[in-house]
Parts: sequence; structure tokens; C-alpha cells
Amino acid sequence: MSDFRPTFRPALGAKTAITSAEVKLSALPEGAIVQVLAPPGEQDVASFLSGLGKGGVRTFSPGQWLIVGDEPMTQEDMKTLFETLEPRATGVDQSAGRARIRIDGKQAGRVLSKGTALDLSADAFPVGRSATTLIGHIAAHITRIDSDSFELIVLRGFAESLWDDLTRMSAEYR
Amino acid sequence: MASLVPCPHCGARPKEEFTVKGAAQVRPAPDTDKKSWVDYVYLRENPRGRYEEFWHHTSGCRRWLVVIRDTATHEIESSCDAAFAGQTDART
Amino acid sequence: MTSYRLATGGLIDRQTPLSFSFDGKRMLGFEGDSLASALLANGQLLVGRSFKYHRPRGILTAGTAEPNALMTIGQGGRTEPNTRATMQELYQGLEARSQSRWPSLEFDVGALNSLFSPFLGAGFYYKTFMWPAAFWEKIYEPFIRKAAGLGKASYEADPDSYDKCWAHCDLLVIGSGPAGLAAALSAGRSGARVVLVDEHSAAGGSLLSETATIGGASASQFVAETVAELASLSNVQILTRTTAFGWYDGNVFGAVERVQKHVLDPLPAVPVERLWRVVSKRAILASGAEERPLVFGGNDIPGVMMATAMRTYLNRYGVAPGKHVAIFTTNDSGYALARDLESAGVNLVAVIDGRPDAGFRYSGRARVIKGAYVSDAHGRKALSSISVWKNGSVETLKADALAMSGGFSPIIHLACHRGAKPVWSDEQAGFLAPTGLNGFELAGAVNTNSGIAACLADGAARGAACVEALGFTASVATFATVEGDIVAPPAKPIWKIPGIKGKAFVDYQNDVHRKDLALAVREGYGHVELAKRYTTNGMATDQGKLSNVNAIGLLAEARGVSPAEIGTTTFRPFYTPVSFGALAGGHFGHHFQPVRESPLHDWAKKQSAVFIDTGLWYRSSWFPRNSETNWRESVDREVLNVRANAGLCDVSTLGKIEVCGNDAAEFLNRVYSNGFLKLPIGKARYGLMLREDGFIYDDGTTSRLEEHRFFMTTTTAYAAGVMTHLEFCAQALWPDLDVRLASVTDQWAQMSVAGPKSRRILQPIVDDDISNAAFPFLAAKEVSLFGGQLQGRLFRISFSGELAYELAVPAGYGESVADAIMEAGNPHGIQPYGVEALSVLRVEKGHVTHSEINGTVIPADLGFEKMVSQTKPDFIGKAMLNREGLTAEDRPRLVGVVPLDPKASFRTGSHILAKDAAATLENDQGYVTSIAYSPHVGSTIGLALVRHGPERHGEEVVVWNGLCGEFTAARLCNPVFVDPQNEKLHV
Repeated sequence: MSDFRPTFRPALGAKTAITSAEVKLSALPEGAIVQVLAPPGEQDVASFLSGLGKGGVRTFSPGQWLIVGDEPMTQEDMKTLFETLEPRATGVDQSAGRARIRIDGKQAGRVLSKGTALDLSADAFPVGRSATTLIGHIAAHITRIDSDSFELIVLRGFAESLWDDLTRMSAEYR
Repeated sequence: MASLVPCPHCGARPKEEFTVKGAAQVRPAPDTDKKSWVDYVYLRENPRGRYEEFWHHTSGCRRWLVVIRDTATHEIESSCDAAFAGQTDART
Repeated sequence: MTSYRLATGGLIDRQTPLSFSFDGKRMLGFEGDSLASALLANGQLLVGRSFKYHRPRGILTAGTAEPNALMTIGQGGRTEPNTRATMQELYQGLEARSQSRWPSLEFDVGALNSLFSPFLGAGFYYKTFMWPAAFWEKIYEPFIRKAAGLGKASYEADPDSYDKCWAHCDLLVIGSGPAGLAAALSAGRSGARVVLVDEHSAAGGSLLSETATIGGASASQFVAETVAELASLSNVQILTRTTAFGWYDGNVFGAVERVQKHVLDPLPAVPVERLWRVVSKRAILASGAEERPLVFGGNDIPGVMMATAMRTYLNRYGVAPGKHVAIFTTNDSGYALARDLESAGVNLVAVIDGRPDAGFRYSGRARVIKGAYVSDAHGRKALSSISVWKNGSVETLKADALAMSGGFSPIIHLACHRGAKPVWSDEQAGFLAPTGLNGFELAGAVNTNSGIAACLADGAARGAACVEALGFTASVATFATVEGDIVAPPAKPIWKIPGIKGKAFVDYQNDVHRKDLALAVREGYGHVELAKRYTTNGMATDQGKLSNVNAIGLLAEARGVSPAEIGTTTFRPFYTPVSFGALAGGHFGHHFQPVRESPLHDWAKKQSAVFIDTGLWYRSSWFPRNSETNWRESVDREVLNVRANAGLCDVSTLGKIEVCGNDAAEFLNRVYSNGFLKLPIGKARYGLMLREDGFIYDDGTTSRLEEHRFFMTTTTAYAAGVMTHLEFCAQALWPDLDVRLASVTDQWAQMSVAGPKSRRILQPIVDDDISNAAFPFLAAKEVSLFGGQLQGRLFRISFSGELAYELAVPAGYGESVADAIMEAGNPHGIQPYGVEALSVLRVEKGHVTHSEINGTVIPADLGFEKMVSQTKPDFIGKAMLNREGLTAEDRPRLVGVVPLDPKASFRTGSHILAKDAAATLENDQGYVTSIAYSPHVGSTIGLALVRHGPERHGEEVVVWNGLCGEFTAARLCNPVFVDPQNEKLHV
């Protein structure tokens, strides 16, 4: 069946972006997400990862990072990246396992504060900082990508529920 | 309503992000006598006061912690990563 | 408007009249009114009936402690019972209804209870309704339920939305009276993050009822200027209409903001209430003090009111409380009211001051009677006169309003919410907050300060100190001179007033009067916690905000001890009632809990799947075809088709974990009971995971993809638990091992393609050779699909017992690949099958799930003794497996069971009895764990755990369902009903 063309279906393909003056909600492209896991005690992996230039580097957990990019990675590129990581770290492909949502606007922080106990003030959570936390009932990874912009990374199976929750949470600012 | 558990990696977070496993005991060596194993698996102190417990930051960094808390006041004395529970410097 | 509304004065807007109704009667109030002030302005003194005696009741307070003026507001799903009229802002179109009356407020049948009141004392219910027992359900309880109770909730759904949110600050200030405002100002100016909450519609607290001036400006003007400065600071957030209701662990405060409870038609997108959880580094309680009522006869007659409340109605709302007003006080604060009443032109009959030696020199016209008490108030639905007792002689004065002030109790509730007990102070004549509250300070009247200037100074100093402790540079805010404030020193309490003839109420809401408390002491219920339950003093919606201290004083006097010895009942959240709506927030309806959708969810929908909740997942249960009307028809067809042709089942919900790292194999060897060290690359192995107590925890297959990369599957139900367990083992038990765990459940869409024709269907899709020789049973590897367009993972594993594969592809391609398999399989008769058919197939094959792995079984019980390594030095569960109970000969073991009559059936959970044994516990041989109708066998089949089961194949038994009284003759047999030699797996 080499004539068959497998088609890709994004997790949030059925959702319409929300655009208003105070808050915007959009699904980010399902590009590449690589979970990087270092052995106990491995030092300075973050700067090593940034140096690879394969995408944005997010702190995920002690000894773990995510490399994220808007463009999908080919199987060969992924394999090459994994080989480059060794022996300092192991890569696991999560490109399809996670969905990314972007929330922007003056009220973005207030919308998220309805769900998370994370202190999202600019001092406590500056641009570039990441954390995994509960947003309502759903665990999600939050990164501040700009003063009024956040990237959320969530398990694919929960993506639609999180989107629906964010829609409800932002309703009063639209 | 609300209470916060300090995670050495993530800072104070609401208890809903955590799962508690119970007493932070040391697993006996495999060939230890049966009584030690029965104690480890089944017997628990139930102190009024200071208690060391395993807590898992399930909806956060997913690290296992040793949390020392007062069962009467809920005051948390300290928390550290379980992998480094015996050591002074917690991995951050 | 009416003769009760003053022509000038107050913070109401006389240009904006608001129309509202009370019990259907149309009335007018003004913008800025509370419902209570508007009712008073309309001369509506009678606002409710009391709980037990159905006595007429009026408005007693102007704030949160109101016990009497509870009303039902709104219509339909917005009906809100027990709303305090004193806290409800008036709005155009508000509809209020009185409660606890039948048939009407003016004429109430229940008031007959008053005639029987000698029989209705404390403990009445306990004593009277004891026998005969049969009367309780049919007569007593319905009667009590009809007669008693407060407002009624609506059965209609609430149309409004609610929300929850978190806030973080350096300093939370609770209360915006003089102390709170000053604290917020000192702290706010330092740059610290400050949240100021106040439960009223506007900040200012007691200052809004003041006639004193600050630096020559009115108190309300001072408030406006201070609030304006605070509002201009970006680091300060002011939340009005927000009640801080609880202090929780970690200095988290709960608060509820009534966002749209003061409007008729709330904006649909905006929540009507918002529940705040405020994480604060420091907090200041500036909640003020509550004035205590005085316990004299008829102190509940409409027209009797707290003195500060009367002052609020007069000064803030421009409402005169009556035409001939008397004041009964035990402290100097009563004279502030006296002065304000006289300057507003209200006739002040007299000030009755309980202190014979009162030193305060009142300069007004009214008569002051010192060393006297009001012993009784008179009137039915409204006050008409009072009896003034002095040295044994009684004088009657005509009055239509009476203010009372028994001194002030600090409002310390929140400070006690984390368990510390309040402390009685003789000097302050009240219970004070416990000291040494970590990160929580008191300021102002709650901190025993009296007078505006003292409260401003205390608040300013504490606000500055709190943020300085956090590293901010703060200076203590200073304020201009306060003039015209009457600073009242603490009152000496008077618990017992002489000469009382009528009923003297302590707890208005629960109709507890002073004799009830004396009775409780006489009958042995004098302990404060017992007295509360015996008399009901301090229960219900107000939780004794006005009554508790008086009750404690009376108990103390009856027992001849100090109130310090009586102590208080326990203070718990919530300070005031919080709606379920606010507590639920947005989590209802569609948002009640998240839904996890498989990447093949929409594919299954296209195939007309019937879904079933499995935890948060929706799984395909079966796929009805056109003519099928019964689920069994669909399931039987799907099962037979898998055995005859092939089926496709979504197994994406299985837990999937990548186990990597240099010690991954060693790690797996320790978490599984069977060996994994020697698992070759490219092979899958069934693994058993035990708990530390030796019982089976979970099962699944784990495949070795690379030397240091394994792919583990878990059951759907235990996916999260297994991941957490593995993390525990890796982090807490063996941190020295290099093992790295990644959950990849959501990464892969996984499909089981099962049936004799599965290879023929898959081979055209998979580029690699999947013949039996090249890809035998338990092979596992990465494969290329559709001529290299896609990479997936293929596993030759089978749950059905047929030749079968599981194919995993990146989740976003799942639907497309499933479509392709269906298309490729169409000529071979492929059909989708759901978890019901999956369950039948596995029961037919004797495969276990968590129906069998139910926390009581060890590997040997299921015939897995060979999966327990005897050579490994350690694995989870090893040490405990050798206990006597787990090695006993007669443990229930896995066996199959079939009915003798193929038309007969039995249920899961039924017990097994020997053929002629009586149905008793002693004769219990085990129980049925799973059943299915097997179209292959042609009858119901079951799996069971039965004593000596494997040795009893062929034995006739009885399957007994004691709940339904069913006895089914059956035979024990091999649990593998299909292909016991496993030939189909290896074709």
C-alpha cells in the first residue's frame, strides 16, 4: 500500500482559535517534542541542549528537559539527534504524545490563575521559566515565553479537555 | 480547602498535586529476617507529631520526596528528594 | 419617601431610587441602601419569624452577624435562601421573601408554639420525641420538618456560573476599616504585593458609619482618598464584596467574592461568585469587634437593635430607627449614638447606663439614667415601651426603638481556624485571639484597640512591620488628627440583668433564652461543647456570632466560674456560609472532569462505536451493525469474526512506558517477578509485577527495542499507578541505578489486529517481512509502513489467542492508519471489535485481567508459578511470597467453569459449592471472577478462583448466587477454552 498517503490529524484540529483584545488562545503546530532524560548526576545538560540548536529547550523535571519546535522532525533527524545526545542523555519522541497551546494577552495570567496555584507574577515566574502544575484537574507544563504569553504542553489525550476548560476560564475576558 | 506542600524542585504547591504513600521507611535488604519484612510491609507508627512520609509530586516534577510533617498541626518541617534523603544537598 | 428616611445625610444616592419588593409588597429604596436599610426606611420592622417559637423578629444588626433578617432572594434557579438582608445590596427589581412563617408573616400558626413554650425548652426534642419509636418517622419528624428550618433551596438548576482562582501576595489584609486601610497603606507604599479584602460593598468598614472627622474631612471622605491612593498602586489589589472565610495550612486563606450578587441580571460570561485561594507570606486580621447584645426580657421584639447597627442606619443610610428612641448601654459607645441621634433630630427618650459610676459626661439633652437596666421590652410585632429597673423599682418608658450595647468582642474567628484556642481576658472582658500565630497578625479593634486614631496607628505600624519582615523598606503611614470620636474603654460585662419578666434571648437564630442555658447546666450539660448541642446555642448559619460570648458568660455564672474556665467551642471554617456553587467553581457539566480521548476516538465514532467510560477514557465497547438491536448480537459477531477472519481493536489506552538507561534491564529484573536481564533485542515478554506484600499488582508485556531501551505496556486501569510505582522504585529504592522513565501512553495510537487473516491484512501495509519465520510470536521491533512514509512499532502479541499483532503509530496518524487497515482488511472480512468482545476473547483463552488480579492472588494462584524467579537475589514482592498463607495448599486457584445446561447461566461474584453441599460460608469453595457468553463454546463460560481448582477439572459443582437466590449446576474445567495447545499463536 505504498500508494496510500497517511494523513496527520492534529489533536486540536477541531478547535477554533480565540482572539480578543484581552486574551488569545491558539493551538501551536504539532512539530517536534523530544523528552531528554539524563542519568543521575549528569551536569549542565541544558546548555548542551541549547547549543544543539534543535529547538527551544524547556526544563521539564530534575534531569529532564523538552526540546520543542514548530516543525516536525524527520525520522532520520530524530535518530541523529538521539545519537548526538548519547551518552549524556537519552531522547524519547513525544511529538505526538503532547499537544501545545499558546495563551496570550493581558489577562492570560489571570485565566491561568483560575487553574494553577503557581505564582505567575513576572518576578516569580519570569520569561523562560517552566513548571509542571495542575490547571484545574489537568496536569500541564507551563512556560512563560513572553511577558504576556504562555506555552502549555499537555498530554494529547487531555488536550481537548484542557482547551475547553481554558475557553470557559477566559470567557469573562472576551 | 487548601494547603501547600513544599517541593524542593518546584516550590510550594497545593496538596492536590501530590500523592502520599505513607511512612518513609527503609526497605530491608532481601535476605533480612521475616519479622523485619512484616514490619516494613504492614506495621506503621501512628505518632501524634513529627512524621516522615513519602510524597510524590504527581502533577508536577514527578519526583518522590521525603516530607517531614507534624500530624497534629500539619506544619511541614522539611521536604527533600527521596533519592537524596540521606544526604545534605538535595538535587535541584 | 417615608417618615423613617431622613431628608439629608448618609452615603445613599437620593437621586437614584430603586424599586424592590418584600413578600410581594412594592417598596422604594435608594442606590447605596442595603436591603435591611431599605426595609427599615419603609417602616418594615417585622422581617421574619423565629425558628422555634415563631416570634416576630426585626433587624438586629447592620452586618454579617445578623441572626434574624434572613430572607429568600431571587426566583427560579437563582433562588437563594437565608440571605442576610443586612449584607444584601439593594438593586432595582430585587424580590425578597420572609422565611419561617406559615401561612403569612403577619399571622403565623407556629406562633402557638409560644404558648407551649414551657414544654419547648432546651433538650425538648431529645426528651419528648423518644417514644413510641414508630412515631418518629411518621409523626414527629414530618412535624418538626414542617415547623422548623430556615429557608428552602430551589430544585431548579442554578443558571449562573461560578469560578475559582488563586492569588499570591506578600501581605493579605482582611478588613478595610481604619486598621485595615492603614495597614494596606503602609505595606502598599513599600512596593510589597498587597491584597485587601472586605466583605462589604465598599471599603471603609466602621468609618462609613462615623460622624468623626479626620484632619477636618469626614470619615467617608478620608476613606475615599485612602482607597484612591491604594487603587493607584499597581501592587495593591482591593477586593470588596469578598469574605475571607478560612485560614488554612501554609498561610492560604479562602475567600469568596460576590461578583454579581448585587444585580438582577448577571452578565452570563462573568461568574456570579469567585472563590479565592490567597497564598500570602504574611496576613493581617483587621476584622474589628462585634457588639454584644444585652440579655433582657423581650430583647427580640422588632425595634430592639444593636447600638452600632442603629448608628450605621442613621449615619450611613440616613434612616431613623424610630420616633422615640432609648439606648441601653454598659459602655461609653452608646453615647456616640445618643449624640448622633440628637443631632439628626430624633427624639431620644433616655440613655440607660448600667454602670452606677459611669464617668462619661453626656452633653446632649436626653435624660441619662445611671446604674439602671432595661429589664423588659414590651410590644408584640413592634416595640411600644420598656421597663427600666433601678435599685428594685421599675419605671416604664414609652419607646418605639431601643438600642443596646453590651460591650465588644474581638472578631477572632480566622485566627482560631488552625486549632489554637482563644484566651479570655478579664481586662478586655472578651476572648482574645491566641498569640504566636505564624505569619498572621492582628490590628485594630480585634487587637483590643479602641477608637479610630488607635486603630489607624496600630494598623499602620503592623502593616509596615509585616512587609519589613519580608525585606521591604516601609515607613509607618501617619494620619491627621481625629476629632469627634468617642473612645470607649472595655465594658464590664453584665451577664445577668435583674428584674426580668419575659423571655430573654441569648441566641436569636436558634431561639435559645437564658433559662435554657441554666437548664443545660442543671441537667449536666454545662460543658461549653455539650451546652451548644443541648441548647443549639451557636448553631445554624450565624454560628453564634452574637450569642456565644453571652452564652459562655451565663454558663460561667451558673457554674460559678470564670468564662476563662468555660472556654469557647471550636472555631472552624467557614466564617460565614459559602455556596456550593463557589466551592464547585467551573467544574460542573461538561467541565466536571476531563475526558481522555484515544487518538482513535474519531475513527471509532465513524465505525459507530458505543463508548464506555473507563476511568477518564472513553473506550469503544462494541460496534453495532444495521440489523443488530441487542449488544450481545454485536459482541458475538465481533468475537466470531476475530476467530474466523480478523478484527481491529483500539488498545491505545494501555499504559506505555519507555524504560531507558544503562541499568534499565537490571531495573526491570527487580520490578518484575520473572527474569528480564536476558530478554533479547527485538523480543517481547509477558511480565508479572508484584506488590511488596507478594500479591500481583499488574501485568503486561515489555519489549526490548535497543540494548538500553525497553517499551513497557501496563493495563489501562493501572497505567498511572504503575508509572508512579516505577518512579518510586527508581528514585526512592534504587537511586543508584541509571534508569530513566518516560510515559509515552499518549505518543502512540496502538491497534490490535487479531485473527487468522491478520498477517495477510498487515503485510501490504508493513514494509518489513512479517512472516512467521521473520517475525515469530513475541517478536517486537520498529517497522516501516506504506513504503517508508511512516515509522511504527510492531509487536506480535495476542490477548485473544489468535494470530495477532499490535501496531503502534504516532498518535496523529492513528486514524489514518486504522482507516488503511480497514480498507486493506475489507476483502478479508475485517471488522472492528470493542472491549466487550476483547473481554469475551480473553475469557475464552483463560487470560486474566484485574477481575482475577484483584489484590488477593499470587502468581501460583493463576498458574504462573514459573514466572517467579527462584534465582534472582531480589525483586519487589520476593521476600513476602514465602509466608505460610501464601504457600498454603488450599489457596483458591484459577479454573474454568461451565454450566451443565448450555442454556443456563451464572453471574460474576457467585460462589462455588461442592455438588451436594449446603449453601453456607463453611462450604464456600471459591468464587467466579469473570464470565462471558462464549459463541465459540456455545454457552456461558466463567473463570473462577477455587480451592484445589486445577486438580478438580471435570468435577460437578453448584454456582451459588446468594444475593439473587440462584443455583446453577456447573462443571469445573480447564480455564483455556480455545486452543489449549497455543497452536494458533505460532502459525
